[in-house]
Amino acid sequence: MRKRSLAPTFLHAPACMQKVRSAAGAVLLLIALFFTLLLSAQSTHTVKGKVTNQKGEPLEGASVTAKGANTGTSTDASGNYTLQVANAQSTLVFSNVGYADKEVAVNGQSSIDVQLQQGTADLGEVVVVGYGSQRKRDLTGAVAVVETGEVTKRQATTIGEALQGLASGVFVRGGGQPGSEARVEIRGLKNLTGTNPLYVIDGMITYANRDFNPNDVESIQILKDASAAAIYGSRAANGVIIITTKKGKKGPMRVDFAAKTSIQTTPRWDLAGKDEFVRLNYMAYDNANVPRQNLNLDVTTDWQDESFQTGYMQDYNVSFAGGGDNGSYMVSANYFKNKGAVISTGFDRISLRVNSQGSKGIFSFGENLAISNAKSDEMSGNPYADVVRLLPTIPVYDPANPGGYGYGSESRARTFGTNPVAIADLEDRALENFRVRGNIWGELKLLPFLKYRANFGYETSADNYRYKRKEGNWTLNQAYDPAIFNENRARYQSMLVENTLSFNKRFGKHSVNAIAGQTYQRDNYGQIWGTKRNILQNSSSGSYYWVLDQGSEPQVGGYDQKAILLSYLGRIEYNFADKYLLNAVVRHDGSSRLGRNEQWGTFPSVSAAWRVSNEEFFKVNFVNDLKLRISHGTLGSSSNLGYWDYLPVINTFSTIAMGTGQNVLPGATQVRLANQDLRWEKLTQTNFGVDASLLNSKLSVTAEYFIAKTTDVLTYMPILMTTGNDGGNPAVNAASLRNTGFELSATYRAEAKDFSYYVTANVTTLRNKILNLGYGRNDIFTGTTVTKLGSPAAMWFLLQTDGLFQTQEEVTNYKNKDGITIQPNARPGDLRFVDHNGDGQITNDDKIVLGSPWAKWELGLNMGASYKNFDLTMNWFGSFGSTVYNGYRSLVDRFDDNSNYREGIQPWTPDNTNTNVPRAFYGSTLNSRGDSDRWLESGTFMRLKFVSLSYRLPDALIKRIGFANAQITISGQNLLTFSSFGGLDPEFNNGNMFERGVYGFQFPNLKMYSAGLQFGF
Amino acid sequence: MKQYIKLTIAISLMVLIMPSCKKDLLNVDNPNTITEEQFWKTESDAEKGVNAAYAMFYKPGGWSRWIYFRLDLTSDEGFSNSPWIELADWTRFQYVNYNFWEGNAITWRDTYKAIFRCNQVLANLPEIPFTDNNKKELLLAQAKFLRGLHYYYAALLWENIPLVLEPSKPDDLPAQRPLAEVWAQVEKDLTEALAVLPVSWDAANVGRPNKGAANAFLARTYMQQRKWPQAKTALDYFITGAGAGKYELVTNFQDNFTHTNENNKESVFEIQFSDVNKGGDGDDPNQNMGHNRAQFFAPRGIGWSDGQARYWMVDEFKKEKTTANAIDPRLRYTLFYPALFADFGDKIYGRNWEWNANEAWFRKYQRDYFRTNEDYFAQNNVRLIRYADVLLMYAEVLNELDQTATAAGYVNTVRARSNMASLATAHPAVLMSKDAFRDRLKIERMLELCGESVRWADLKRWGDLETPAKVSAVAQRDPDFNNFVVGKHVRLPIPQTEVLNNPNLKQNDKY
Repeated sequence: MRKRSLAPTFLHAPACMQKVRSAAGAVLLLIALFFTLLLSAQSTHTVKGKVTNQKGEPLEGASVTAKGANTGTSTDASGNYTLQVANAQSTLVFSNVGYADKEVAVNGQSSIDVQLQQGTADLGEVVVVGYGSQRKRDLTGAVAVVETGEVTKRQATTIGEALQGLASGVFVRGGGQPGSEARVEIRGLKNLTGTNPLYVIDGMITYANRDFNPNDVESIQILKDASAAAIYGSRAANGVIIITTKKGKKGPMRVDFAAKTSIQTTPRWDLAGKDEFVRLNYMAYDNANVPRQNLNLDVTTDWQDESFQTGYMQDYNVSFAGGGDNGSYMVSANYFKNKGAVISTGFDRISLRVNSQGSKGIFSFGENLAISNAKSDEMSGNPYADVVRLLPTIPVYDPANPGGYGYGSESRARTFGTNPVAIADLEDRALENFRVRGNIWGELKLLPFLKYRANFGYETSADNYRYKRKEGNWTLNQAYDPAIFNENRARYQSMLVENTLSFNKRFGKHSVNAIAGQTYQRDNYGQIWGTKRNILQNSSSGSYYWVLDQGSEPQVGGYDQKAILLSYLGRIEYNFADKYLLNAVVRHDGSSRLGRNEQWGTFPSVSAAWRVSNEEFFKVNFVNDLKLRISHGTLGSSSNLGYWDYLPVINTFSTIAMGTGQNVLPGATQVRLANQDLRWEKLTQTNFGVDASLLNSKLSVTAEYFIAKTTDVLTYMPILMTTGNDGGNPAVNAASLRNTGFELSATYRAEAKDFSYYVTANVTTLRNKILNLGYGRNDIFTGTTVTKLGSPAAMWFLLQTDGLFQTQEEVTNYKNKDGITIQPNARPGDLRFVDHNGDGQITNDDKIVLGSPWAKWELGLNMGASYKNFDLTMNWFGSFGSTVYNGYRSLVDRFDDNSNYREGIQPWTPDNTNTNVPRAFYGSTLNSRGDSDRWLESGTFMRLKFVSLSYRLPDALIKRIGFANAQITISGQNLLTFSSFGGLDPEFNNGNMFERGVYGFQFPNLKMYSAGLQFGF
Repeated sequence: MKQYIKLTIAISLMVLIMPSCKKDLLNVDNPNTITEEQFWKTESDAEKGVNAAYAMFYKPGGWSRWIYFRLDLTSDEGFSNSPWIELADWTRFQYVNYNFWEGNAITWRDTYKAIFRCNQVLANLPEIPFTDNNKKELLLAQAKFLRGLHYYYAALLWENIPLVLEPSKPDDLPAQRPLAEVWAQVEKDLTEALAVLPVSWDAANVGRPNKGAANAFLARTYMQQRKWPQAKTALDYFITGAGAGKYELVTNFQDNFTHTNENNKESVFEIQFSDVNKGGDGDDPNQNMGHNRAQFFAPRGIGWSDGQARYWMVDEFKKEKTTANAIDPRLRYTLFYPALFADFGDKIYGRNWEWNANEAWFRKYQRDYFRTNEDYFAQNNVRLIRYADVLLMYAEVLNELDQTATAAGYVNTVRARSNMASLATAHPAVLMSKDAFRDRLKIERMLELCGESVRWADLKRWGDLETPAKVSAVAQRDPDFNNFVVGKHVRLPIPQTEVLNNPNLKQNDKY
């Protein structure tokens, strides 16, 4: 009967659902099937009782089951339960979220009251898994749960930044710069373009950018493998980070206030002081027989002092939350301000959130709404490189130059380094985003076990970028530019509509949870921009009028973008006696970003788990819980694509002057090539996992091994320049690659009377291998790397050096087998290169693979201890075994060009031969060529990411002032780093996948010292 | 029963709320521009396609910036003293990283980018219906001319290159061709263009190539291969053919380099630069239509000064006076040099000489005649071929064909404009032998054309880079040639990523 009432309704589904009917239909069929299992169990013995916590307070919703039988119930609001069991010798199992399970033999009793102990390892914890939640212990896929407490303690601008080291398999590289976003990579490189995971905030599919207030986070779940992420389908290939924001709880209004203030300092280069610089510079010129430049010895500038400052961060958060029987609310407001550690940079955010929900009868409703305004003063130029490129003999100010700033000079300081003080003043870039993000949902509990939910999400941002360029110069021989003003305004909108039907029922030992639904998301982005030159200036004050009404030579432009994703999804979770768990997901996705004939794809996944510890035969005392998991699934991906990458379009922007009047005529042509048959990138992942809880749940261990294979990787693979292509390489389904990895996470907790502590270690190892490359190619070369079949991506491909020539005789005797002197022009003190092909000369053909930019393993170590009212927390993060390219050293150690030098550097001289630095030689790149292994270094590091000490004010004291709790925290970030890397920060991020290990003056992670105050009443 | 009603209501609701599943819901059209499929349908499309090919003259790999480093600075006329050592190294045969973008790869890329645009026109136009077929032929001829021109310069620079003649596909791996085949393709394109192009265009289309432009480039192509009779045939166009009398030397030598007297009677083919758009180099709205040469070659403190002139040229100019016993007036508009003010009363961008006593910079195409600074938007047209060059080419061809006496007349015409006496008067010895005449012609070409991007081709054609002895002679004028390895540096290395990623392409010899 029920089956019939379902099926005809779905027959009305529109034509485009035909393809999914088989998949979605199967799920619905299963749901219907289980309706028919609604059979009540036979009963012979009734047990009643009450479940309470340690304090004797009743626990609502605690589960009570008879071990080995298919009966179970849960407690009511007063903690009471009634259960009929098969016989009077049954054993009851009591469990509740956050508490340790307890087993009690009935032994003929008819009343059993139970007190549950708060679990040290949270076996009953519930995690959000996308369109529903699951007990953590019932998970069959790879899901990491992040300790939210650890996240909110950290002083982070974005949530991504705060995640580092808190979950295994999650690689994070911070931005450092005020308002910058961190890069998050889950389980390695799955494709060759973007790695950002999908963020789902309260059901809104979006990304947790800098507008999002990390203080609002209630919980974070990270879905790592295909089966866990499959429900989010095509956008989940890089993993999913599910963020749930705080909700009000039943009870009187609770007010929480938190304030944090931090100071930031940037790491600095160890650069030569003036005297050392002058000595080395003269040496390089003298060795090259070039007349010395006339350095201005009257000036001593420390460019780092000029460019860097003490950064300052303030973060204030206040929230009001409460609720009654039928509703709850949470309102929070946040102000965040960051004055950057580099001059003329900063970030400022104000945000407001309102989360509320209510219910009446079978209907419930809720909304989450966040409004924010974020503004960043962006960095101009790159001061981290410029402080190195500028010479200490250049003055900061020089009235003789246009604009009044000092910079290079042909006769006195031959460098094109940019004066960071000048560019900070003369070029101002600011980006402001006003964002509204929220969703509203309604739920109908049609039957006790059947819910319908509609979710409507909407996000919009109004973006405004302003570029103000004053008249004046910041570098040697710069072209003249008048005052220029450029402004753009943009609007982003994303609309999400979701309908889901979920079924959740327990039939004795069988428990079934199923969901079927549909989602639709539309993204729009539109921008207009304008530029004017010769901006009006107030002649007496020198200030400019930065509006587009002023100035001349107007230029305008604008464009619109739109993409649609339409999906149908179904999932079924089946649990037999808490021993056997099965989970199946199917998703049918359609994307407007793919070739017109390739828009749709179907992606199934299945996972299973076996809780060994629940088996009767399992009698290992020290193991409290043991679960084995296996999963296999396929995900499709297209979100790395641009809006219309499959479409070859005509560029209509060229214009030419023609005729005696030089009339301007329009041109149009294809500039960027396109592959029209772009199809789904497919990620197939197999995951093996073990979860164990040992030693009275003091030790919990999760281990995962996975094989992730991505085929038809969508990437902008470099193509030949002879194609004449420009405007970016065309997207192509270009490669297959495989990641295999092992993740281990172990936590040990122990408690004594006043003292407790925990240690969590997350270890991740990862290997990637290219299985296949597009266009039938065997390798892709860039200037310094090669990506080859059968090897990891972006391996170093360089000339190998073999020390220095010490004598002219060594130069002459350095011959190949035919007796040809390999480097006849070398002199003592020059680099010796290895002639790998033996042809008697050093050419590009001598390059070989010289190491991998990939870390062999990464370690996160989180420790906490509390004694009475004190809490100490530490997070360590380490990355081991990578080889990186130090772009900084390739600049300071080169000597052929003018820049400052590394402090204490010892170039080879006839008197100082015990060194690995070649002789200083101005004007020749032979020793300083960028494509040699001279610049490779170990990327290994271990860093104390975070340490904090907090003190909870004694209850007696806070009660007297009417507070519920109060806490003072002092903390530090990035305080200690152990590394041999010579760049500013071993924890850097290079967004170019083919040059992943190239350190090129990326903004470093800053040292931060914070003090925070939190209280609630 | 109540439950089933609720259920039915809910499910119906769900289906209703679901966005209507129109079949084409996912077919989101790009609202920003026309697709390739929708283009190449009308005469207007065809015109725009050809215009876009011209727009490649404004790109930095070519004639807005970097090609001058290859043609002028690499030759013995210029050099780089840039503090950017790698950039300077690429003007003195110290090629280490063959992928160096500014020195090599961008010019390679922009060459093929231009060829791609020409190929699109050549492949698509035949299908477009035209009311006037002659118009279609003219458009095709322009595309052929431009493709021939770009291959001409590519042949000069890299010699053995792939010939791409069809619109590109992303997976193309075109095969390398020997230099002779590349020249043959240039000849073919230019010859086919020549057959169609008009003797002259109407005022609105001045700036497009005419028969003169095609003949001049064809002559250059033949001359580089030392095919003298064919070169003479092409150049006869200007002397005895339809182009005779159409071209003249302008009175004021400076008029060849400013924006105030463009497309004049001396002009054979010039690039139409404009400062109307103050935009970037990319393919975006408001893209720059000016050149950056002036900014890159201006003296220190005014421009980047990445390129400057060899001082031997100043001395060469001063070796011979005019018939009025004055300094050769061409020197004034050719170079900035220490005595410029003393000799001619001109300051340098309003400044006194503040540079070293043995330094010089190119003045041609600099804009000091109306500005005191430079920027990236120079509007003065660059004359790729002017009539004076044609006359000197003709003289060279005649001399090679053993008509030295006749050849002298054409050199005299050029000299006369600058009040220089005839060769018979000033240099009678050079008329005595073919070799002596050729040696004089080398100087005459420098005096007239230095800094006009012809010297690299000249040195190659004259064989001055073919033996170590001859290279040493060049190195007397330009010590950068001490680094020159015969048989190697006469052509550039092909960008290494192209060689590595294309199995059908080998690196040039000795690299």
